[in-house]
Amino acid sequence: MIEPIVKMVVLMVILMGAAAYLVLLERWVAAWIQDRRGPSRVGIPMTRIRLGGLGQPLADGIKLFFKEACTPTYVDRALYFLGPLIMFTAALATFAVIPFGDVLPGIGGGEPIALVVAPGIDVGLVYVFAFSSIAVYGVLLGGWASNNKYGFLGGLRSAAQLISYELPLGLGILGVVLVAGSLRFETIQYAQAESGLWYVVSQPLGFLVFFVAAFAESGRLPFDLAEAEQELVGGFHTEYSGVKLMLLLVSEVFHLFIVSFLIVLLFFGGWHFWGITGCGSTVSWTTGLLRVVVLLGKVMLVTLFFLVARWSWPRFRFDQMMALAWQVLVPLGLVHLVATAFWWEFGPVWAARWGFSLPVMTVVWGWAVFAIVIGLTAWLVPETSDNRPRLEEDWR
Amino acid sequence: MNVREKTIRQVRRPKLGLTGKLFVPLFTAGLTTAIRHLFSRKRTVNAPEVRHEIPRPEIYRGLHRLNRDERGRVKCVACFLCATACPAHCIDIVAAESPWPDRDKYPQLFQIDELRCIYCGMCEEACPVEAIELTPIYDLIGPSRAQMIFDKAKLLDVYDATWESKKEETR
Repeated sequence: MIEPIVKMVVLMVILMGAAAYLVLLERWVAAWIQDRRGPSRVGIPMTRIRLGGLGQPLADGIKLFFKEACTPTYVDRALYFLGPLIMFTAALATFAVIPFGDVLPGIGGGEPIALVVAPGIDVGLVYVFAFSSIAVYGVLLGGWASNNKYGFLGGLRSAAQLISYELPLGLGILGVVLVAGSLRFETIQYAQAESGLWYVVSQPLGFLVFFVAAFAESGRLPFDLAEAEQELVGGFHTEYSGVKLMLLLVSEVFHLFIVSFLIVLLFFGGWHFWGITGCGSTVSWTTGLLRVVVLLGKVMLVTLFFLVARWSWPRFRFDQMMALAWQVLVPLGLVHLVATAFWWEFGPVWAARWGFSLPVMTVVWGWAVFAIVIGLTAWLVPETSDNRPRLEEDWR
Repeated sequence: MNVREKTIRQVRRPKLGLTGKLFVPLFTAGLTTAIRHLFSRKRTVNAPEVRHEIPRPEIYRGLHRLNRDERGRVKCVACFLCATACPAHCIDIVAAESPWPDRDKYPQLFQIDELRCIYCGMCEEACPVEAIELTPIYDLIGPSRAQMIFDKAKLLDVYDATWESKKEETR
Protein backbone atom coordinates (compact mmCIF):
# COMPACT_ATOMS: atom_id res chain seq x y z
CA MET A 1 0.00 0.00 0.00
CA ILE A 2 2.87 2.34 0.83
CA GLU A 3 4.78 1.62 -2.35
CA PRO A 4 2.22 2.90 -4.88
CA ILE A 5 1.66 6.04 -2.83
CA VAL A 6 5.38 6.76 -2.68
CA LYS A 7 5.65 6.14 -6.40
CA MET A 8 2.67 8.40 -7.10
CA VAL A 9 4.11 11.25 -5.06
CA VAL A 10 7.54 10.91 -6.66
CA LEU A 11 5.99 10.70 -10.12
CA MET A 12 3.83 13.77 -9.55
CA VAL A 13 6.78 15.82 -8.36
CA ILE A 14 9.03 14.68 -11.17
CA LEU A 15 6.33 15.18 -13.78
CA MET A 16 5.45 18.71 -12.72
CA GLY A 17 9.13 19.62 -12.58
CA ALA A 18 9.80 18.01 -15.93
CA ALA A 19 6.83 19.81 -17.48
CA ALA A 20 8.08 23.14 -16.13
CA TYR A 21 11.56 22.54 -17.42
CA LEU A 22 10.29 21.33 -20.76
CA VAL A 23 8.65 24.71 -21.20
CA LEU A 24 12.01 26.33 -20.47
CA LEU A 25 13.72 23.96 -22.89
CA GLU A 26 11.13 24.75 -25.52
CA ARG A 27 11.77 28.47 -25.09
CA TRP A 28 15.51 27.88 -25.32
CA VAL A 29 15.24 25.77 -28.45
CA ALA A 30 12.90 28.32 -29.98
CA ALA A 31 15.32 31.11 -29.16
CA TRP A 32 18.38 29.27 -30.42
CA ILE A 33 16.75 28.36 -33.69
CA GLN A 34 15.81 32.01 -34.14
CA ASP A 35 19.43 33.04 -33.36
CA ARG A 36 18.44 34.49 -30.01
CA ARG A 37 19.80 33.59 -26.57
CA GLY A 38 16.59 32.74 -24.78
CA PRO A 39 15.73 33.07 -21.09
CA SER A 40 18.97 33.54 -19.17
CA ARG A 41 18.16 35.85 -16.27
CA VAL A 42 16.12 34.13 -13.59
CA GLY A 43 18.16 32.15 -11.10
CA ILE A 44 17.78 31.65 -7.38
CA PRO A 45 15.14 34.04 -6.02
CA MET A 46 16.28 36.93 -3.79
CA THR A 47 19.87 36.52 -4.90
CA ARG A 48 21.82 37.65 -7.89
CA ILE A 49 22.78 34.11 -8.88
CA ARG A 50 21.45 33.45 -12.36
CA LEU A 51 22.31 29.83 -13.21
CA GLY A 52 21.83 30.65 -16.86
CA GLY A 53 18.08 31.04 -16.53
CA LEU A 54 17.30 27.79 -14.73
CA GLY A 55 14.96 29.59 -12.33
CA GLN A 56 12.65 30.58 -15.15
CA PRO A 57 10.10 27.74 -14.64
CA LEU A 58 9.62 28.83 -11.03
CA ALA A 59 8.95 32.38 -12.12
CA ASP A 60 6.55 31.19 -14.81
CA GLY A 61 4.69 29.01 -12.34
CA ILE A 62 4.40 31.77 -9.76
CA LYS A 63 3.22 34.15 -12.43
CA LEU A 64 0.50 31.79 -13.66
CA PHE A 65 -0.63 31.02 -10.12
CA PHE A 66 -0.97 34.62 -9.03
CA LYS A 67 -2.45 35.94 -12.23
CA GLU A 68 -6.07 36.93 -11.97
CA ALA A 69 -8.17 33.90 -12.82
CA CYS A 70 -10.75 35.75 -14.82
CA THR A 71 -13.99 33.91 -15.52
CA PRO A 72 -16.05 35.63 -18.19
CA THR A 73 -19.70 36.17 -17.22
CA TYR A 74 -21.07 34.52 -20.35
CA VAL A 75 -19.43 31.10 -19.94
CA ASP A 76 -21.17 27.92 -18.92
CA ARG A 77 -19.56 27.81 -15.52
CA ALA A 78 -19.76 24.10 -14.73
CA LEU A 79 -18.39 22.98 -18.08
CA TYR A 80 -15.89 25.82 -18.14
CA PHE A 81 -14.31 24.52 -14.94
CA LEU A 82 -14.67 20.89 -16.00
CA GLY A 83 -12.75 21.26 -19.28
CA PRO A 84 -9.24 21.87 -17.90
CA LEU A 85 -9.85 19.46 -15.03
CA ILE A 86 -10.74 16.63 -17.40
CA MET A 87 -7.75 17.32 -19.62
CA PHE A 88 -5.33 17.50 -16.73
CA THR A 89 -6.71 14.45 -14.95
CA ALA A 90 -6.70 12.37 -18.11
CA ALA A 91 -3.16 13.39 -18.96
CA LEU A 92 -1.92 12.69 -15.45
CA ALA A 93 -3.81 9.41 -15.11
CA THR A 94 -2.16 8.11 -18.27
CA PHE A 95 1.19 8.10 -16.52
CA ALA A 96 -0.05 5.41 -14.14
CA VAL A 97 0.84 2.71 -16.65
CA ILE A 98 3.80 4.29 -18.41
CA PRO A 99 7.04 2.74 -17.14
CA PHE A 100 9.99 4.98 -16.34
CA GLY A 101 12.46 2.16 -16.46
CA ASP A 102 12.30 -1.54 -15.89
CA VAL A 103 12.66 -2.72 -12.29
CA LEU A 104 15.01 -1.97 -9.45
CA PRO A 105 16.11 -4.69 -7.02
CA GLY A 106 14.21 -4.48 -3.75
CA ILE A 107 15.73 -2.64 -0.83
CA GLY A 108 17.17 -5.11 1.71
CA GLY A 109 16.37 -8.17 -0.36
CA GLY A 110 12.69 -7.33 -0.69
CA GLU A 111 10.49 -7.59 -3.74
CA PRO A 112 11.86 -5.92 -6.91
CA ILE A 113 10.40 -2.46 -7.40
CA ALA A 114 8.73 -2.00 -10.76
CA LEU A 115 9.31 1.53 -12.00
CA VAL A 116 5.71 2.22 -12.87
CA VAL A 117 2.85 3.28 -10.65
CA ALA A 118 0.53 0.45 -11.67
CA PRO A 119 2.75 -2.47 -12.70
CA GLY A 120 1.53 -5.45 -14.63
CA ILE A 121 -1.63 -4.01 -16.14
CA ASP A 122 -2.59 -6.34 -18.96
CA VAL A 123 -4.37 -3.67 -20.97
CA GLY A 124 -1.77 -0.93 -20.53
CA LEU A 125 -2.00 0.27 -24.11
CA VAL A 126 -5.80 0.29 -24.10
CA TYR A 127 -5.68 2.28 -20.88
CA VAL A 128 -3.39 4.89 -22.47
CA PHE A 129 -5.61 5.17 -25.50
CA ALA A 130 -8.76 5.38 -23.42
CA PHE A 131 -7.41 8.31 -21.44
CA SER A 132 -6.01 10.07 -24.47
CA SER A 133 -9.53 9.89 -25.93
CA ILE A 134 -10.97 11.41 -22.78
CA ALA A 135 -8.69 14.40 -23.31
CA VAL A 136 -10.79 15.20 -26.37
CA TYR A 137 -13.73 15.85 -24.06
CA GLY A 138 -11.69 18.45 -22.24
CA VAL A 139 -10.99 20.22 -25.51
CA LEU A 140 -14.61 20.05 -26.63
CA LEU A 141 -16.05 21.12 -23.29
CA GLY A 142 -13.57 23.95 -22.94
CA GLY A 143 -14.31 25.21 -26.43
CA TRP A 144 -18.07 24.89 -26.04
CA ALA A 145 -18.32 26.33 -22.54
CA SER A 146 -16.21 29.37 -23.45
CA ASN A 147 -19.18 30.68 -25.44
CA ASN A 148 -16.71 32.29 -27.80
CA LYS A 149 -16.55 31.79 -31.55
CA TYR A 150 -12.78 31.48 -31.65
CA GLY A 151 -12.73 29.12 -28.74
CA PHE A 152 -15.52 27.06 -30.21
CA LEU A 153 -13.93 26.83 -33.65
CA GLY A 154 -10.61 25.91 -32.07
CA GLY A 155 -12.29 23.24 -29.96
CA LEU A 156 -14.11 21.78 -32.95
CA ARG A 157 -11.01 21.71 -35.10
CA SER A 158 -9.04 20.12 -32.30
CA ALA A 159 -11.71 17.51 -31.62
CA ALA A 160 -11.98 16.63 -35.31
CA GLN A 161 -8.22 16.31 -35.51
CA LEU A 162 -7.80 14.23 -32.37
CA ILE A 163 -10.65 11.87 -33.27
CA SER A 164 -9.40 11.45 -36.82
CA TYR A 165 -5.85 10.71 -35.80
CA GLU A 166 -6.84 8.19 -33.19
CA LEU A 167 -7.49 5.68 -35.97
CA PRO A 168 -4.01 5.72 -37.51
CA LEU A 169 -2.56 5.90 -34.00
CA GLY A 170 -4.30 2.66 -33.13
CA LEU A 171 -3.51 1.05 -36.48
CA GLY A 172 0.16 1.93 -36.10
CA ILE A 173 0.53 0.02 -32.86
CA LEU A 174 -1.56 -2.98 -33.93
CA GLY A 175 1.43 -4.50 -35.68
CA VAL A 176 3.49 -4.21 -32.51
CA VAL A 177 0.73 -5.67 -30.39
CA LEU A 178 0.29 -8.51 -32.86
CA VAL A 179 3.95 -9.43 -32.88
CA ALA A 180 4.52 -8.99 -29.15
CA GLY A 181 1.26 -10.78 -28.43
CA SER A 182 0.31 -8.51 -25.57
CA LEU A 183 -0.94 -5.07 -24.64
CA ARG A 184 1.35 -4.98 -21.62
CA PHE A 185 4.20 -2.52 -21.82
CA GLU A 186 6.48 -4.92 -19.96
CA THR A 187 5.88 -7.73 -22.44
CA ILE A 188 6.45 -5.43 -25.41
CA GLN A 189 9.68 -4.26 -23.76
CA TYR A 190 10.99 -7.73 -23.19
CA ALA A 191 10.00 -8.85 -26.67
CA GLN A 192 12.20 -6.11 -28.10
CA ALA A 193 15.00 -6.56 -25.58
CA GLU A 194 15.27 -10.32 -25.96
CA SER A 195 15.34 -10.30 -29.75
CA GLY A 196 17.44 -7.13 -29.80
CA LEU A 197 15.32 -6.07 -32.74
CA TRP A 198 13.47 -2.82 -32.15
CA TYR A 199 10.12 -2.60 -33.84
CA VAL A 200 11.20 0.53 -35.69
CA VAL A 201 13.58 -1.73 -37.61
CA SER A 202 11.17 -4.55 -38.31
CA GLN A 203 8.01 -2.46 -38.78
CA PRO A 204 9.01 0.82 -40.43
CA LEU A 205 5.59 1.36 -41.95
CA GLY A 206 3.85 0.98 -38.62
CA PHE A 207 6.35 3.36 -37.08
CA LEU A 208 5.73 5.97 -39.77
CA VAL A 209 1.96 5.78 -39.34
CA PHE A 210 2.22 5.89 -35.56
CA PHE A 211 4.78 8.68 -35.56
CA VAL A 212 2.80 10.99 -37.81
CA ALA A 213 -0.42 10.25 -35.93
CA ALA A 214 1.32 10.80 -32.60
CA PHE A 215 2.63 14.13 -33.86
CA ALA A 216 -0.92 15.10 -34.71
CA GLU A 217 -2.28 13.75 -31.45
CA SER A 218 0.14 15.84 -29.42
CA GLY A 219 -1.14 18.89 -31.32
CA ARG A 220 2.28 20.30 -32.09
CA LEU A 221 3.29 22.52 -34.85
CA PRO A 222 2.81 20.89 -38.21
CA PHE A 223 -0.57 19.87 -36.82
CA ASP A 224 -1.39 22.63 -34.36
CA LEU A 225 -4.47 23.79 -36.22
CA ALA A 226 -6.48 23.83 -33.03
CA GLU A 227 -4.55 26.73 -31.61
CA ALA A 228 -3.05 28.23 -34.71
CA GLU A 229 -1.97 31.47 -33.08
CA GLN A 230 -2.06 33.40 -36.31
CA GLU A 231 -5.59 32.34 -37.23
CA LEU A 232 -7.61 31.29 -34.22
CA VAL A 233 -6.43 33.51 -31.37
CA GLY A 234 -5.30 30.49 -29.34
CA GLY A 235 -7.97 27.90 -29.97
CA PHE A 236 -10.12 26.39 -27.30
CA HIS A 237 -8.25 28.00 -24.42
CA THR A 238 -8.86 31.55 -25.59
CA GLU A 239 -11.08 32.32 -22.61
CA TYR A 240 -8.94 30.65 -19.98
CA SER A 241 -6.54 32.41 -17.68
CA GLY A 242 -4.59 31.85 -14.49
CA VAL A 243 -4.47 28.39 -12.98
CA LYS A 244 -6.97 26.92 -15.44
CA LEU A 245 -4.79 28.00 -18.34
CA MET A 246 -1.82 26.49 -16.57
CA LEU A 247 -3.66 23.18 -16.26
CA LEU A 248 -4.36 23.22 -19.99
CA LEU A 249 -0.79 24.09 -20.90
CA VAL A 250 0.66 21.52 -18.52
CA SER A 251 -1.60 18.83 -19.93
CA GLU A 252 -0.39 19.72 -23.41
CA VAL A 253 3.16 19.22 -22.22
CA PHE A 254 2.08 15.92 -20.64
CA HIS A 255 0.63 14.84 -23.97
CA LEU A 256 4.00 15.54 -25.53
CA PHE A 257 5.66 13.38 -22.87
CA ILE A 258 3.13 10.60 -23.30
CA VAL A 259 3.60 10.58 -27.04
CA SER A 260 7.40 10.54 -26.68
CA PHE A 261 7.19 7.71 -24.16
CA LEU A 262 4.89 5.70 -26.42
CA ILE A 263 7.18 6.15 -29.41
CA VAL A 264 10.20 5.02 -27.40
CA LEU A 265 8.44 2.17 -25.60
CA LEU A 266 6.73 0.71 -28.63
CA PHE A 267 9.23 1.30 -31.40
CA PHE A 268 12.66 2.25 -30.01
CA GLY A 269 13.13 -0.60 -27.58
CA GLY A 270 12.24 1.26 -24.40
CA TRP A 271 14.99 0.76 -21.85
CA HIS A 272 16.92 -1.62 -24.09
CA PHE A 273 20.20 -0.72 -25.70
CA TRP A 274 22.49 -3.30 -27.24
CA GLY A 275 25.34 -4.34 -25.01
CA ILE A 276 24.59 -1.95 -22.18
CA THR A 277 21.38 -2.84 -20.43
CA GLY A 278 21.13 -6.59 -20.91
CA CYS A 279 17.74 -8.17 -21.39
CA GLY A 280 17.06 -10.37 -18.36
CA SER A 281 14.24 -9.73 -15.93
CA THR A 282 16.49 -9.86 -12.84
CA VAL A 283 18.65 -6.80 -12.54
CA SER A 284 21.40 -5.42 -10.37
CA TRP A 285 21.28 -1.82 -9.23
CA THR A 286 23.61 -0.80 -12.05
CA THR A 287 21.61 -2.31 -14.87
CA GLY A 288 18.34 -1.20 -13.28
CA LEU A 289 19.47 2.41 -13.11
CA LEU A 290 21.12 2.15 -16.51
CA ARG A 291 17.81 1.10 -18.01
CA VAL A 292 16.13 4.15 -16.49
CA VAL A 293 18.84 6.39 -17.94
CA VAL A 294 18.60 4.80 -21.37
CA LEU A 295 14.81 5.06 -21.47
CA LEU A 296 14.71 8.66 -20.30
CA GLY A 297 17.56 9.58 -22.66
CA LYS A 298 15.65 8.19 -25.60
CA VAL A 299 12.49 10.01 -24.51
CA MET A 300 14.52 13.20 -24.23
CA LEU A 301 15.83 12.78 -27.76
CA VAL A 302 12.35 12.21 -29.18
CA THR A 303 11.07 15.25 -27.26
CA LEU A 304 13.93 17.34 -28.61
CA PHE A 305 13.01 16.26 -32.10
CA PHE A 306 9.47 17.46 -31.46
CA LEU A 307 10.78 20.80 -30.24
CA VAL A 308 13.04 21.30 -33.25
CA ALA A 309 10.36 20.13 -35.67
CA ARG A 310 8.13 22.90 -34.41
CA TRP A 311 10.40 25.47 -36.04
CA SER A 312 11.15 23.44 -39.15
CA TRP A 313 7.90 22.90 -40.95
CA PRO A 314 4.92 25.01 -41.91
CA ARG A 315 1.46 24.16 -40.69
CA PHE A 316 -0.79 21.92 -42.75
CA ARG A 317 -3.99 23.26 -44.15
CA PHE A 318 -7.01 21.75 -42.46
CA ASP A 319 -8.23 19.78 -45.46
CA GLN A 320 -4.69 18.55 -46.10
CA MET A 321 -4.44 17.33 -42.54
CA MET A 322 -7.77 15.52 -42.72
CA ALA A 323 -6.82 14.01 -46.08
CA LEU A 324 -3.54 12.84 -44.60
CA ALA A 325 -5.36 11.05 -41.80
CA TRP A 326 -8.20 9.47 -43.73
CA GLN A 327 -6.80 8.99 -47.21
CA VAL A 328 -3.18 8.19 -46.46
CA LEU A 329 -2.51 7.08 -42.90
CA VAL A 330 -5.57 4.87 -42.37
CA PRO A 331 -4.97 2.86 -45.58
CA LEU A 332 -1.26 2.65 -44.79
CA GLY A 333 -2.04 1.42 -41.31
CA LEU A 334 -4.44 -1.21 -42.64
CA VAL A 335 -1.91 -2.40 -45.19
CA HIS A 336 0.71 -2.59 -42.48
CA LEU A 337 -1.58 -4.58 -40.23
CA VAL A 338 -2.39 -7.06 -42.98
CA ALA A 339 1.24 -7.35 -44.04
CA THR A 340 2.39 -7.96 -40.47
CA ALA A 341 -0.35 -10.50 -39.84
CA PHE A 342 0.51 -12.23 -43.10
CA TRP A 343 4.17 -12.48 -42.22
CA TRP A 344 3.43 -13.56 -38.69
CA GLU A 345 1.29 -16.36 -40.05
CA PHE A 346 3.50 -17.59 -42.87
CA GLY A 347 6.99 -16.29 -42.06
CA PRO A 348 7.90 -18.92 -39.45
CA VAL A 349 6.50 -21.70 -41.62
CA TRP A 350 8.53 -20.60 -44.63
CA ALA A 351 11.58 -20.06 -42.46
CA ALA A 352 11.36 -23.62 -41.25
CA ARG A 353 10.75 -24.98 -44.74
CA TRP A 354 13.49 -23.11 -46.60
CA GLY A 355 15.82 -22.59 -43.69
CA PHE A 356 16.43 -18.82 -43.79
CA SER A 357 16.93 -16.62 -40.77
CA LEU A 358 13.57 -15.45 -39.50
CA PRO A 359 14.64 -12.09 -37.94
CA VAL A 360 16.58 -11.03 -41.03
CA MET A 361 13.72 -11.88 -43.33
CA THR A 362 11.26 -10.10 -41.00
CA VAL A 363 13.28 -6.92 -41.40
CA VAL A 364 13.55 -7.41 -45.15
CA TRP A 365 9.81 -8.02 -45.38
CA GLY A 366 9.06 -4.93 -43.31
CA TRP A 367 11.23 -2.64 -45.40
CA ALA A 368 10.03 -4.16 -48.69
CA VAL A 369 6.42 -3.49 -47.70
CA PHE A 370 7.45 -0.01 -46.57
CA ALA A 371 9.18 0.83 -49.86
CA ILE A 372 6.38 -0.52 -52.05
CA VAL A 373 3.59 1.15 -50.09
CA ILE A 374 5.33 4.49 -49.79
CA GLY A 375 6.22 4.44 -53.47
CA LEU A 376 2.60 3.70 -54.36
CA THR A 377 1.42 6.52 -52.10
CA ALA A 378 3.80 8.98 -53.69
CA TRP A 379 2.63 7.91 -57.12
CA LEU A 380 -1.07 8.11 -56.29
CA VAL A 381 -1.39 11.32 -54.29
CA PRO A 382 -2.21 14.42 -56.36
CA GLU A 383 0.36 17.12 -56.99
CA THR A 384 -1.77 19.78 -55.40
CA SER A 385 -4.96 19.82 -53.44
CA ASP A 386 -7.39 22.68 -53.61
CA ASN A 387 -9.92 23.46 -50.94
CA ARG A 388 -11.40 26.58 -52.47
CA PRO A 389 -15.14 26.53 -53.03
CA ARG A 390 -15.83 25.77 -56.66
CA LEU A 391 -18.10 27.75 -58.93
CA GLU A 392 -20.97 26.16 -60.81
CA GLU A 393 -19.21 26.27 -64.20
CA ASP A 394 -16.15 24.53 -62.77
CA TRP A 395 -18.21 21.43 -62.20
CA ARG A 396 -19.21 21.09 -65.82
CA MET B 1 -6.34 45.74 -74.46
CA ASN B 2 -4.47 43.99 -77.19
CA VAL B 3 -1.84 41.66 -75.81
CA ARG B 4 0.27 39.93 -78.39
CA GLU B 5 0.72 36.23 -78.02
CA LYS B 6 4.49 36.59 -78.07
CA THR B 7 4.59 38.72 -74.96
CA ILE B 8 2.75 36.15 -72.86
CA ARG B 9 5.01 33.66 -71.19
CA GLN B 10 3.32 30.59 -69.81
CA VAL B 11 4.76 29.57 -66.43
CA ARG B 12 4.01 26.08 -65.31
CA ARG B 13 4.05 24.86 -61.77
CA PRO B 14 7.24 22.82 -61.31
CA LYS B 15 6.71 19.09 -61.01
CA LEU B 16 7.16 17.83 -57.48
CA GLY B 17 8.21 14.30 -58.26
CA LEU B 18 7.72 11.27 -56.07
CA THR B 19 9.70 12.54 -53.07
CA GLY B 20 8.21 15.98 -53.41
CA LYS B 21 4.73 14.59 -53.08
CA LEU B 22 5.77 12.95 -49.83
CA PHE B 23 7.10 16.30 -48.51
CA VAL B 24 10.58 14.77 -48.24
CA PRO B 25 12.59 17.71 -49.70
CA LEU B 26 10.48 20.18 -47.74
CA PHE B 27 10.94 18.32 -44.47
CA THR B 28 14.67 17.77 -44.84
CA ALA B 29 15.22 21.38 -45.86
CA GLY B 30 13.20 22.64 -42.91
CA LEU B 31 14.91 20.37 -40.44
CA THR B 32 18.43 21.11 -41.66
CA THR B 33 17.74 24.84 -41.59
CA ALA B 34 16.42 24.62 -38.04
CA ILE B 35 19.34 22.52 -36.82
CA ARG B 36 21.87 24.77 -38.54
CA HIS B 37 20.39 27.77 -36.77
CA LEU B 38 20.32 25.86 -33.49
CA PHE B 39 24.12 25.92 -33.43
CA SER B 40 24.78 29.12 -35.31
CA ARG B 41 26.14 32.34 -33.85
CA LYS B 42 23.52 34.18 -31.83
CA ARG B 43 22.64 37.63 -33.04
CA THR B 44 21.40 39.04 -29.74
CA VAL B 45 23.64 40.06 -26.83
CA ASN B 46 23.13 39.97 -23.10
CA ALA B 47 22.27 43.63 -22.68
CA PRO B 48 22.96 45.60 -20.57
CA GLU B 49 26.16 43.79 -19.51
CA VAL B 50 27.20 43.29 -23.10
CA ARG B 51 26.53 46.12 -25.48
CA HIS B 52 25.82 45.85 -29.14
CA GLU B 53 28.82 46.79 -31.15
CA ILE B 54 27.74 49.52 -33.53
CA PRO B 55 29.57 48.80 -36.74
CA ARG B 56 29.86 52.40 -37.97
CA PRO B 57 29.21 54.89 -35.17
CA GLU B 58 29.84 57.85 -37.45
CA ILE B 59 26.68 57.16 -39.39
CA TYR B 60 24.58 55.76 -36.55
CA ARG B 61 21.46 57.80 -35.82
CA GLY B 62 20.97 58.00 -32.06
CA LEU B 63 20.71 60.84 -29.59
CA HIS B 64 21.51 64.32 -30.90
CA ARG B 65 24.31 66.57 -29.81
CA LEU B 66 25.18 70.19 -30.44
CA ASN B 67 28.78 70.58 -31.49
CA ARG B 68 31.12 73.17 -30.07
CA ASP B 69 33.60 75.06 -32.15
CA GLU B 70 37.30 75.26 -31.31
CA ARG B 71 36.70 78.01 -28.73
CA GLY B 72 34.06 75.96 -26.92
CA ARG B 73 31.13 78.01 -28.14
CA VAL B 74 28.06 76.46 -29.66
CA LYS B 75 28.56 76.05 -33.39
CA CYS B 76 24.93 76.66 -34.25
CA VAL B 77 24.10 79.89 -36.09
CA ALA B 78 20.33 79.63 -35.56
CA CYS B 79 19.54 79.40 -39.26
CA PHE B 80 16.45 77.23 -38.64
CA LEU B 81 17.35 74.83 -41.46
CA CYS B 82 17.20 71.83 -39.14
CA ALA B 83 13.88 72.91 -37.65
CA THR B 84 12.52 73.36 -41.18
CA ALA B 85 13.82 70.02 -42.38
CA CYS B 86 12.56 68.15 -39.36
CA PRO B 87 9.58 65.99 -40.41
CA ALA B 88 8.51 65.46 -36.80
CA HIS B 89 8.71 69.12 -35.83
CA CYS B 90 10.66 68.30 -32.71
CA ILE B 91 13.28 71.07 -32.90
CA ASP B 92 12.46 74.36 -31.26
CA ILE B 93 14.86 77.30 -31.73
CA VAL B 94 14.72 80.86 -30.47
CA ALA B 95 17.35 82.96 -32.20
CA ALA B 96 19.03 86.00 -30.71
CA GLU B 97 21.67 88.53 -31.65
CA SER B 98 25.05 86.87 -31.43
CA PRO B 99 27.38 88.13 -28.71
CA TRP B 100 30.33 87.15 -30.89
CA PRO B 101 31.56 89.19 -33.83
CA ASP B 102 32.00 86.25 -36.28
CA ARG B 103 28.30 85.58 -36.81
CA ASP B 104 24.97 87.36 -36.73
CA LYS B 105 22.77 85.02 -34.73
CA TYR B 106 23.09 82.32 -32.17
CA PRO B 107 20.45 80.11 -30.55
CA GLN B 108 19.23 81.57 -27.31
CA LEU B 109 17.03 78.52 -26.88
CA PHE B 110 17.60 75.23 -28.70
CA GLN B 111 15.57 72.27 -27.62
CA ILE B 112 14.78 68.91 -29.13
CA ASP B 113 11.90 66.76 -27.98
CA GLU B 114 13.64 63.39 -28.00
CA LEU B 115 10.32 61.58 -27.59
CA ARG B 116 8.93 63.20 -30.69
CA CYS B 117 12.06 62.75 -32.79
CA ILE B 118 12.02 59.93 -35.30
CA TYR B 119 15.83 59.82 -35.60
CA CYS B 120 15.79 60.30 -39.35
CA GLY B 121 18.94 62.42 -39.42
CA MET B 122 17.45 65.13 -41.63
CA CYS B 123 18.64 67.84 -39.21
CA GLU B 124 22.19 66.61 -39.56
CA GLU B 125 21.81 66.62 -43.34
CA ALA B 126 20.38 70.12 -43.35
CA CYS B 127 22.86 71.82 -41.04
CA PRO B 128 25.23 74.09 -43.00
CA VAL B 129 27.79 74.45 -40.20
CA GLU B 130 27.80 70.88 -38.91
CA ALA B 131 26.48 71.97 -35.57
CA ILE B 132 23.90 69.26 -34.97
CA GLU B 133 24.85 65.61 -35.19
CA LEU B 134 23.44 62.25 -34.21
CA THR B 135 25.52 60.14 -31.84
CA PRO B 136 25.55 56.36 -31.39
CA ILE B 137 23.73 56.60 -28.04
CA TYR B 138 20.61 54.50 -28.56
CA ASP B 139 19.30 53.63 -25.10
CA LEU B 140 17.90 56.94 -23.95
CA ILE B 141 15.59 56.92 -20.96
CA GLY B 142 14.20 59.56 -18.66
CA PRO B 143 11.89 59.74 -15.68
CA SER B 144 9.46 62.22 -17.19
CA ARG B 145 8.39 63.68 -20.52
CA ALA B 146 9.71 67.09 -19.48
CA GLN B 147 13.18 65.67 -18.96
CA MET B 148 13.16 64.13 -22.40
CA ILE B 149 13.04 67.59 -23.94
CA PHE B 150 16.75 68.25 -24.32
CA ASP B 151 17.77 71.89 -24.13
CA LYS B 152 20.98 73.53 -25.32
CA ALA B 153 22.97 72.77 -22.19
CA LYS B 154 22.04 69.12 -22.27
CA LEU B 155 22.82 68.79 -25.95
CA LEU B 156 26.20 70.41 -25.42
CA ASP B 157 26.80 67.99 -22.56
CA VAL B 158 26.15 65.14 -24.95
CA TYR B 159 28.86 66.61 -27.17
CA ASP B 160 31.26 66.74 -24.24
CA ALA B 161 30.49 63.11 -23.44
CA THR B 162 30.77 61.81 -26.98
CA TRP B 163 33.21 63.99 -28.88
CA GLU B 164 36.00 61.50 -28.40
CA SER B 165 34.07 58.42 -29.42
CA LYS B 166 32.48 59.95 -32.47
CA LYS B 167 35.13 61.54 -34.59
CA GLU B 168 34.65 64.15 -37.25
CA GLU B 169 32.33 63.47 -40.13
CA THR B 170 33.74 60.90 -42.50
CA ARG B 171 31.32 61.01 -45.35
